[in-house]
Amino acid sequence: MSEQKPQTVPTTGHVWDGDLQEYNNPLPVWWVYTFYATVIFALVYWTIYPSWPFGKGWIGGVSKISYVNSEGEAKTHSWNTRALLLADMNKAAIAQKPYFDKVEAMSYEEIAKDPEMSGFVISAGKTLFADNCAPCHQAGGQGMIGFFPDLTDDDWLYGGSYEKIHETLMGGRRGYMPAFSEVLVGTEIDQLANFVASLSGIGHDTAKAAAGKVLFHGDAAGCHACHGSDARGRQDMGTPNLTDNIWLWANVPAADTDEGKVAAIRGVIASGLNRGVMPAWSGRLLPEQIKVLTVYVHELGGGQ
Amino acid sequence: MAVTAYSGAEQYNFDIVKKFAVMSLVWAVVGMSVGVYIAAELAWPFLNFDSPYFSFGRFRPVHTSAVIFGFGGSALFATSYYVVQRTCQARLFSDGMASFTFWGWQTIIVLAALSYVMGYSQGREYAEMEWPIDLLIEVVWVAYLILYVGTIMRRKQPHIYVANWFYLSFILATALLHTFNNLAVPVDLFSMKSYSLFSGTQDAMVQWWYGHNAVGFFLTAAFLGMMYYFVPKQAGRPIYSYRLSVVHFWALSFMYMWVGAHHLHWTALPDWTSSLAAAFSILLLMPSWGGMINGIMTLSGAWDKLRTDPVMRFMIVALSFYGMSTFEGPMMSLKEVNALSHYTDWTVGHVHSGALGWVAMISFGSLYHMMPRLWDTTLYSRKLIEWHFWLATIGIVLYIVAMWISGITQGLMWRAFDEFGNLQYSFVESVAAMMPFYAMRAIGGMFFLTGTVLMAINIFMTIRQGKRESAAPDAGLAVRMAQA
Repeated sequence: MSEQKPQTVPTTGHVWDGDLQEYNNPLPVWWVYTFYATVIFALVYWTIYPSWPFGKGWIGGVSKISYVNSEGEAKTHSWNTRALLLADMNKAAIAQKPYFDKVEAMSYEEIAKDPEMSGFVISAGKTLFADNCAPCHQAGGQGMIGFFPDLTDDDWLYGGSYEKIHETLMGGRRGYMPAFSEVLVGTEIDQLANFVASLSGIGHDTAKAAAGKVLFHGDAAGCHACHGSDARGRQDMGTPNLTDNIWLWANVPAADTDEGKVAAIRGVIASGLNRGVMPAWSGRLLPEQIKVLTVYVHELGGGQ
Repeated sequence: MAVTAYSGAEQYNFDIVKKFAVMSLVWAVVGMSVGVYIAAELAWPFLNFDSPYFSFGRFRPVHTSAVIFGFGGSALFATSYYVVQRTCQARLFSDGMASFTFWGWQTIIVLAALSYVMGYSQGREYAEMEWPIDLLIEVVWVAYLILYVGTIMRRKQPHIYVANWFYLSFILATALLHTFNNLAVPVDLFSMKSYSLFSGTQDAMVQWWYGHNAVGFFLTAAFLGMMYYFVPKQAGRPIYSYRLSVVHFWALSFMYMWVGAHHLHWTALPDWTSSLAAAFSILLLMPSWGGMINGIMTLSGAWDKLRTDPVMRFMIVALSFYGMSTFEGPMMSLKEVNALSHYTDWTVGHVHSGALGWVAMISFGSLYHMMPRLWDTTLYSRKLIEWHFWLATIGIVLYIVAMWISGITQGLMWRAFDEFGNLQYSFVESVAAMMPFYAMRAIGGMFFLTGTVLMAINIFMTIRQGKRESAAPDAGLAVRMAQA
């Protein structure tokens, strides 16, 4: 053992593995007293909170939780997690209550015009939208071509009035278009795609588009039955307007060439659609929350 | 009483120690690489490559099992076999059983990693292995226990050295924990899937009784055993206080078993259970610190070694992180603090200040001490150790600071209300706010991993040097004479 300073404390006298020894220093005083302090802390902690099991129950703590619930009743419980949660939630609920009461009483238009209430709608709607709607419609409500509609433009599949938005939120929606590859041949689908492209001013083959127009209005394809004879869509069925160059399913904007744009349209006509599903929120969110979301979505930019 | 120190290569079974020591470094590099990868996935999600095989959910247990059981476990097998033989002056009780524990343990780690990637998991943190692997662990662990006790019974010293108490408590407690937490019924004889014997909140309670005592006995008591041998050996000084070691050993063993429920604050677990555990966590603070005091005070009178001996520095920094995380833990177990920290990255940071700062650093120090002695040579490069030390230390600091900031930010964002009583932030906003800290954490991990790779290179060169020297006995003798 080199560099050993003179020690007053003796070792235990045991030696292992050549040079392994132990001094027998007393326990550090501060260590002992800090340990006693933690014992006192534990005793106090056990007195404050429910702690030791006893018989068929447990010893409740002396600490109490008091709160006023949203009905205005004063409640007091001995400390427990559930009461603490209720106390916390009630604090928020009491702050929210006057606003939600007003939401219930006011019409959509009144809420939108009242500066204080639109402040509330933006505050409550932001988190409601981000936690429930944004996974599909994206953080700003801009949607995603090929999957989820844009809520910020003024193109509405089922209508953009407060009432229609509310109906959509409550009951959900199911968009469907059959696969036309089952009833039409490839050249016909190509002709239809050229016609649809022509409606939005996209470069197309005029001869094919003319043939497509005939198919569109004819009975074999029957496109006009859902999309309307003016191809502007029908909100009672949720069919899109094909003349406004706004695209939900066919990713036309992503294609660089006219051929690519027509091909994207052709793909949708051929395979149809069965994934345009929006879930119903009635029963998942409270009626007043859905009303707040209705105004919030309406105010995203496209409300009618 | 004292016998002359000698390498003991003839008297003891060092072959098994060498095997485990090398594998511990292999698993360190593998496990930490996976750790860095999943840390990067959280910051840059494209790294999932939309493939289930690369996903965070499957790689995360690969990381934890490889570092805890692969690296930590192999380091514990290696050092415990080394320490028990040297302090008992007895060869391992059976070479065959020792070899069985080696091949069994390595098979377990490989099977566990493969099964996670294939999607098999019990969904129990740190006990994700499905039932066939659990049974294999059971057999290997019982062999380990018999081997260890058998060797202690053959000791030529009347007294059992303190390091062996800690190792033995770790082996016993782990056997108990592993058995009860993995009581499960397989779906059928040829199915990897099983269901726990416990249900609901009881199941959660059993899991966290296991989880926290895995921290207590696997990651704390066992590594304290390592500390109690390698710190006095490296310092060349006696342990500070035998009395303190007795008191804190029994206090630690008694207290740890009560505290698992502090992982289940604010859940369906009855309130009395978790407040009982919280107070025991505070009572555990001083017993935990007993080990730190004993380690650090052993160096009292030889503080200059911190400047001159990089291996010693690993050990002392390890003890400092040990002291810090055993203080942080009891604080986080208090209900009101936990209300902020629970489910946040703060917990992740806390675990890593213990895992990187304490477990990994004390293992590095011990391996740097032990491995040259096993091959009867000196360390290849002191400079590489210095580099390793600083890379590891900077890596840990980057990691835990990032997690403190992101954890507290998460906790505060989740509970923030605006003036209308509405939640101020949506969950996804708190996720977006984590991005810079996730990047910082990944960089911290890269630092730590780089240090570990340098160590692996250094040890590889050391072993090569040792083999060359033993092939040329004269040269080896000259080195040994120079050392003396």
